[in-house]
Amino acid sequence: MSPYILAILLFSLGLGTTITFSSTHWLLAWVGLEINTLAMLPLMAQNHHPRAVEAATKYFLIQASGAAVLLFAGVINAWLTGQWDIHQAAHPLPIAIITLALSLKLGLAPLHSWLPEVFQGLNLTTNLILATWQKLAPLALMLQIQPPHSSLLIFLGLMSTLGGGWGGLNQTQLRKILAYSSTAQLGWMILVVQFSPSLTTLAILVYVVTTSATFLTLKLNKATNINMLAISWAKAPALMALTPLVLLSLAGLPPMTGFMPKWLILQELSKQGLPATATITALTALLSLYYYLRLTYAMTLTMFPNNITSTPPWRLPSAQLTLPLAILALAAISLLPLTPAAMALVAL
Amino acid sequence: MAYFVYLFMVGLVLGMAVVAVNLSPYFAAFGLVVVAGMGCGVIISFGGSFLSLVLFLIYLGGMLVVFVYSAALAAEPFPESFGTTGAVLYFMGLVGVVGVFAILYIEEGSGLGGCSSDEVMGMSSCVTEYDGMSQMYGPGGFLLVLCAWVLLLTLFVVLEMTRGSSRGPLRSV
Repeated sequence: MSPYILAILLFSLGLGTTITFSSTHWLLAWVGLEINTLAMLPLMAQNHHPRAVEAATKYFLIQASGAAVLLFAGVINAWLTGQWDIHQAAHPLPIAIITLALSLKLGLAPLHSWLPEVFQGLNLTTNLILATWQKLAPLALMLQIQPPHSSLLIFLGLMSTLGGGWGGLNQTQLRKILAYSSTAQLGWMILVVQFSPSLTTLAILVYVVTTSATFLTLKLNKATNINMLAISWAKAPALMALTPLVLLSLAGLPPMTGFMPKWLILQELSKQGLPATATITALTALLSLYYYLRLTYAMTLTMFPNNITSTPPWRLPSAQLTLPLAILALAAISLLPLTPAAMALVAL
Repeated sequence: MAYFVYLFMVGLVLGMAVVAVNLSPYFAAFGLVVVAGMGCGVIISFGGSFLSLVLFLIYLGGMLVVFVYSAALAAEPFPESFGTTGAVLYFMGLVGVVGVFAILYIEEGSGLGGCSSDEVMGMSSCVTEYDGMSQMYGPGGFLLVLCAWVLLLTLFVVLEMTRGSSRGPLRSV
């Protein structure tokens, strides 16, 4: 792609998220979301492969309908309450509609079926942007609305952790596994958004770090399914040793960083008097843990059969920049002792 | 005068039902023309004459004309029309659903059921419509520049998505 076009698209991607972050008017929030959708499309379809264009089409339809429903709900809110401000008290009907529209845009269950298909059609770099950056703007809006009925958000959260865990169990394609993992992690974030928005902020920050480390690892190994992951152990042995820790951090296992948001979320749910919800959420995290463990098993814990010439490959300098991966992997593994500082950072 | 407003609103619903029956694009375009025309009439009845003129020019004269040309490029020999099975029934079903909801949920006093001559709404002495449009160029300058940027971005996006014409997966003409 021409560097000028790439610059325009990346700039618009940043602009859209910034506009949604800084807006107090529903119309401007919608504008930011639409700019993000538009700018993402050519990035997704840049190699013009039919599968990539199919993924771009599905993404466009889903995001456009979500944004349209969001706009209609904002208009209904303006009709019923007379003002467009996001932070002012709103009528509960448009708030419920906005919650559903944002959960469609985020890929929360039961509105998550588009996510694995879109992820599968794209290369790992575009998936990285889709899984991290594109989640920030809808989550920023979700943090600001105050829904009066807690049951909708808890339903979405529980369905997402359950659907994300269960759906990823039968997958061998890594991009689909990561799509279901995205649904599950977002479920955790949505569960606690009405009790403590700071924990949602912490959870999305930790999720961005851990999932970026995972995507960059897969990109370095050029692995898109479990078989390719299994024979990639010889390409970068140090990475092979660190990847289980990164994956288990994504799963939320102590003593890695990924445990931090899950721990604090379970504590917050128990403090709010929802011990059953906390228990069910923790149990559904076991489903996700199983497919992360399967990836760990394939990559590190076993040496898959391979021909003799692939096992000691030439360790050439990697064409991919490895500094981001190094920093993110380290952050994903070792930042759990910083929990008090993290809680202060997000103003818990 | 109130009957004109009723006529426009009924025409709006019927036009939208034509679009929703999902026939060949030519009929949908015709339905959209009816919707836009009747919608402009409803806007005029609320005092927004300039806005309805802008809607006619830009929506009907600009976007719909481009849509009709694009639809004509993808012509098919046997377009699905109102004579095909189920289309008329679907249409009547849609209009019936709207009618049921209208009868059940629209109270007498609210403005949703149209206004008679002694319940005029929104005819204020100051014409707020031009004021709103001038706000877009003054205090709303940022949004104007943003909209211009979004339109330029859309152009680049469309050109990038259709790069390669027949060599890519999108069907070319």
